[in-house]
Amino acid sequence: MTANKVTPLNPEPDQEIMAGKAGAMTSRPVLQVDGVNKIYGNGTVALKGADLTVKQGEFVSLLGPSGCGKSTLLRIMAGLGEVTTGTVKWWEQDYGVVGSKGRKLAFVFQNATLMPWARVRKNVRLPLDLEHAGKSPEAERKIDDALGMVGLQGFDNSFPRELSGGMQMRASIARAMVTEPNLLLMDEPFGALDEMTRNRLNDDVLRLWKDKGWTIVFVTHSVYEAVYLSGRVVVMAARPGRIVDDISIEEPYPRSPDFRVSTEFAGYCRQVSRALERASAMGEDRDEESQS
Amino acid sequence: MNAPLIRNERFVQIAAPLLVGVLVLLMWQFTVMAFEVPKYLVPSPVDIGQSLVSDFPSLFNALLMTLKVTFLAFAIAVILGVAASLLFVQSKWIEISLFPYAVLMQVTPVVAIAPLIIIWVNDTTWALTICAVIVAIFPIISNTTLGLRSVDPNLLSMFRMYRASRWQELIRLRIPGALPYFFGGLRISSGLALIGAVVAEFVAGTGGARAGLAYMILQSGYNLQIPRMFAALLLITVTGILLFALMVWMSDRALRNWHESALKVEH
Repeated sequence: MTANKVTPLNPEPDQEIMAGKAGAMTSRPVLQVDGVNKIYGNGTVALKGADLTVKQGEFVSLLGPSGCGKSTLLRIMAGLGEVTTGTVKWWEQDYGVVGSKGRKLAFVFQNATLMPWARVRKNVRLPLDLEHAGKSPEAERKIDDALGMVGLQGFDNSFPRELSGGMQMRASIARAMVTEPNLLLMDEPFGALDEMTRNRLNDDVLRLWKDKGWTIVFVTHSVYEAVYLSGRVVVMAARPGRIVDDISIEEPYPRSPDFRVSTEFAGYCRQVSRALERASAMGEDRDEESQS
Repeated sequence: MNAPLIRNERFVQIAAPLLVGVLVLLMWQFTVMAFEVPKYLVPSPVDIGQSLVSDFPSLFNALLMTLKVTFLAFAIAVILGVAASLLFVQSKWIEISLFPYAVLMQVTPVVAIAPLIIIWVNDTTWALTICAVIVAIFPIISNTTLGLRSVDPNLLSMFRMYRASRWQELIRLRIPGALPYFFGGLRISSGLALIGAVVAEFVAGTGGARAGLAYMILQSGYNLQIPRMFAALLLITVTGILLFALMVWMSDRALRNWHESALKVEH
């Protein structure tokens, strides 16, 4: 029997990068995906020749039709899945050597993925508890900060079911924040929310990204969301999953809701939509029986 | 509260089945009296009540014996069942190797093996308890194992990303997640422990061991004391209902804050 496929990942970014200004880009890559192929046991090619470099402070969206392997790629970026061939490096190190202390990487799932039996505070505390650091005054401060940042003060003692979908997602983001990550990977986090809530959370994420100096890779189905949030939109095609386009969104940050109704926004959306249509057309040429 | 009682859900929940019960008892009493059915064929509810009062000391002793075996067996089934489940989730290989034997135990009729156990084990109480454990343990094993395995895969990924130890994974994720399944197993198993105890008492009783309500039923049958037989049966039924209610209450207490099964939904 093969060993557990999951590779724990705890990169320790170098001090130079840590000292980088919030939201400011330096030339050092945070994440390098080189020629990654992912073939499942049943022969399905989930990813073919994926190359992507994400630099410190970037906000990159992965956009593509269903089954294009964007979630697979994101999980590989999180160290949650093994690659068949190719390499992934975090802070220019192979993950064979980055298993050091400190939680510098966090993942936000499609649904809030909270423990339903635990109150909000306990859910947010979880990453700290898992590294036996959940009981210190320092931990309490981090939890308070995280809850404050996502606007969930006063909901410490609520159970997840007592919160709306948007608030559950906020709790999930607070849980990711509590470890003070440098790299945040988000897998369609707002896909199930109504548009108003989604827009508000988009603004919150942008604010936090800037304040905290995060690097974010964000998977989404929505062209508008990708354009509004990202500095780069990476477009993927399905069957096999591959990267087909990499579009820069030059609009400076901070971006206000006015950007959503500007002609520039419409122009970028058109450009990205066309790229997405081309990507979808590529996928439809292929065998339909491929993975979903 | 000014709303009519009939609108009170809780009142209706209790009153409706109670009303049906009273009506059935009345019809029973009336039929037995009208057709002058002899006591040794079908006793009337009043006859049964009288027997319950007059034979109370012997019935109560028998009840205590049955309860002792039931609770002992139930407790052992829970402890062994949970231990087996925890063992099974440690590795698929352990589960594959051992689970068929749990099934084997489940499908073997306890009536068939009870005489053997009674011969092998000298002490009647323990012999009966072992039989009842064999009957009661399977739902605990199968439900708890299922629960321990039914973990949200994303939560599991997250635990692994944060390098949780197997112990942390078990304590913080698998066990709390398995609780609803475990309590489901408890509800079934509590009733089975009682059934197992009674069945074993029957077998033991046939062999001459004086024990429990089942022996009482057997004995009353031989002596044509049919009202006492019904009274003993009534006590077994009431015990079963109380046990089930206790399990439901415990499950609601433990899960009321988060699990769908215990939430009060307002329409």
